Amino acid sequence: MRARILSILAYTGAGLTLMIAVCVPFVLMGVFSNVVAHAGLHIDATYSGGTIARTIQRNGYRIVVYQPVQPRLLERVEPFVQIVFEPADSLPARVSDEVDLDGDGRPDVRVSFSVPADASAKMRGDVTALNGGDVSLADVADESFSRMVVRAGNQIVVRVPMNKVVAGR
Amino acid sequence: MMVQPQGVRGHSRQLGLFLAARLAGYIVFATAAWLVGSSIQRAWTGRAGIGQAGIGQSWLMGWIEVLLAAALVVYAVGWPHRRCAAAKEAQGLVRIGEGPGPLRSGALALGFLTGINLCPPFLVAGVRAAQLEHLPAALLFFVCFFVGTAVWFLPFLSMGFVQRTPAVVTVARMVAVLLACWYGISGFSILIERTFYG
Amino acid sequence: MASSSSTLRAPALRGPAALRRPKAFRGVGRSILLTLPIALWSLLMFMAAFQRAGRDERIGSAVVIVFMTALFFLMMRTGETYRWRRIFFVALGFLFPFGFIASLIAERGTMSIPISRMVSGDTPFCFMVTPTIILPAAFARTIIFPGSILPTASNPHSIAIMIGIWFAMTLVLGKAWCSYACFFGGIEEGFAAFAKRPKLHRFVARYSHILRLVPWAILVFVVLVSAAIFEPVYCMWLCPFKAVTEFPAVRNVETAIQMGVFVALFVGLVVVLPYLTKKRTQCGFFCPFGAFQSIFNKINLFEIRFDRTKCVDCTLCQTSCPTVALSKESIAEGKTLLNCMKCGACVDACKKDAAVWHLKGTPVAVKPERARLLFLYGAWALATMFGGSILAGSVSTMIHWLPGM
Repeated sequence: MRARILSILAYTGAGLTLMIAVCVPFVLMGVFSNVVAHAGLHIDATYSGGTIARTIQRNGYRIVVYQPVQPRLLERVEPFVQIVFEPADSLPARVSDEVDLDGDGRPDVRVSFSVPADASAKMRGDVTALNGGDVSLADVADESFSRMVVRAGNQIVVRVPMNKVVAGR
Repeated sequence: MMVQPQGVRGHSRQLGLFLAARLAGYIVFATAAWLVGSSIQRAWTGRAGIGQAGIGQSWLMGWIEVLLAAALVVYAVGWPHRRCAAAKEAQGLVRIGEGPGPLRSGALALGFLTGINLCPPFLVAGVRAAQLEHLPAALLFFVCFFVGTAVWFLPFLSMGFVQRTPAVVTVARMVAVLLACWYGISGFSILIERTFYG
Repeated sequence: MASSSSTLRAPALRGPAALRRPKAFRGVGRSILLTLPIALWSLLMFMAAFQRAGRDERIGSAVVIVFMTALFFLMMRTGETYRWRRIFFVALGFLFPFGFIASLIAERGTMSIPISRMVSGDTPFCFMVTPTIILPAAFARTIIFPGSILPTASNPHSIAIMIGIWFAMTLVLGKAWCSYACFFGGIEEGFAAFAKRPKLHRFVARYSHILRLVPWAILVFVVLVSAAIFEPVYCMWLCPFKAVTEFPAVRNVETAIQMGVFVALFVGLVVVLPYLTKKRTQCGFFCPFGAFQSIFNKINLFEIRFDRTKCVDCTLCQTSCPTVALSKESIAEGKTLLNCMKCGACVDACKKDAAVWHLKGTPVAVKPERARLLFLYGAWALATMFGGSILAGSVSTMIHWLPGM
């Protein structure tokens, strides 16, 4: 009797598995994708740059300043702050801007770079720290996730490493 | 202790004592790590400064990681389980825990000793505590670290069988070797970087 | 294990393909009838391609419909699974990199991923990363991968979409993902098929009990380290298939070492060792995703079992297994090990019909063909949907590139 019940359950399960297989492309893929999409997850700030702190409007373009990204306990990346210049196609050929990172009304870094006409050309730029909180970068391109001046789509992404002693406090 | 037939209530009592003693060990270690760290930082800052990389990328960190790698290899080979004094001591403690009366003292002693045990993540956390500026911050950090690690002891209430499965032990040793490679490469990278680039 | 090496030596000289059944298993009419559902499913899967896509895509889809239906018909006609599945799987393994690289070259002119694409979330998500992102996602709600959670115009292979596909398929396939869906495993299966005789069979036989545990160790290692340093360690340092798909652009010593590791692992584990051992060495002795996928065998209803009343302990099944998922002890118990990927090699190899497809909960070796059919319909349907669409894309790319087409 037990063997018979088990067999019935097994074939019912096998039938369900087949039904699931048929449902995969039409229903299940979408259901599981929606679950992941609505799970409140976010891409690690090392890649995404973190959350936006404030937007500074300039003549014809804007500068988006992100919250500082602090590495976790064993993370290898340095603390950094991301600054985005957008839209890239509205930027002047040469950009040299003083940016207030912490919102205290005083500029913290000067970011300078040339915008190549060719969107796929490699970019280089300079960052000058105007106080002790950040690290200056000279002729930087895409050295690491915390030190870069790169073009990503219609944005120029600049990442400035922060002085660890200051960042840790 | 956990493989003894005591039931879940008995195991819970043992585990509670063990974790309390472990927390005490953590607090002692956090205080010591902060004192050592702050004195090293003072000494280095007083001389040439520790630079932008800070103590996290210093010679000390490099050497610690290399030593961790060596310790993990030794662990994976199985040498300390048979020969070192700590293993004998641990065996003695386990024997204390086996008796009906002194179960509490066994759990407390084991908890405290594992609390100050220099395992790899614990040492790295110690270095992080040493980097912090204030002692309360170091203590808070280690209390959080304790909560994070204590969670993983809960399944051990019913997981005595794991250690009796040879494949699990083999996989654990392989993991130790892989982690040793990781720490070794990381440690040597820091030392090489410090040697050539200052 | 010394005795096992001697018993394994003779059969090791013959692959599963050499052990095929000589006679037709089923009549043509009945085989066509059993193939009909898969033929209809294939048409359904590629209907959209016929309605919307261009000429190359239509040809690619038509080729795949015929290909997948014909292989299923041959499975029904001959009663063999491994032999025909392998043709699909090797085609998938070799054509996927071709189509993928072609699309990368067309889009960005290089196989490397520049850091700018990583920060803008344009890295396509690969299912191999899945085990390493679970702990950070669970405890910090953070995905440690430079992709995007929702699909975008520049990255349709988003994390949510790819995890949705993987999980839905895993519910049906379990570890059989590794033999019906993984677009990497076919590469080494192809190289393993090139060799007539294995040259390292003694080594494999002697150390298989250790080697099959290595993927578990690598799984634990990459999961722990990835969670500790918040980086996808397997992707960044250990994935052999980066060498034939895409890899972080070489911009310093570290990324140059990473590239060297990818190439060395690919050449060693995917090309040379499969050729020398006639095993899927990367899958059986290295792949942490494969170990992770093994866990789902526990909840999957289909498995391979051994009828001990028929088994003569010839070890042909053990020798034919591409991922050393059989041991003498497991055969004696009438079971496979946890890492069995249900490729069917042992069933095809067994001359005594002792190795059988089995539905958990039913008696062993009673109506095994029914269990095989129930499994194959699900597995082949998903193989057509997932691998078939990849094949169709690659075939259409080939047609597009062919001169005069």
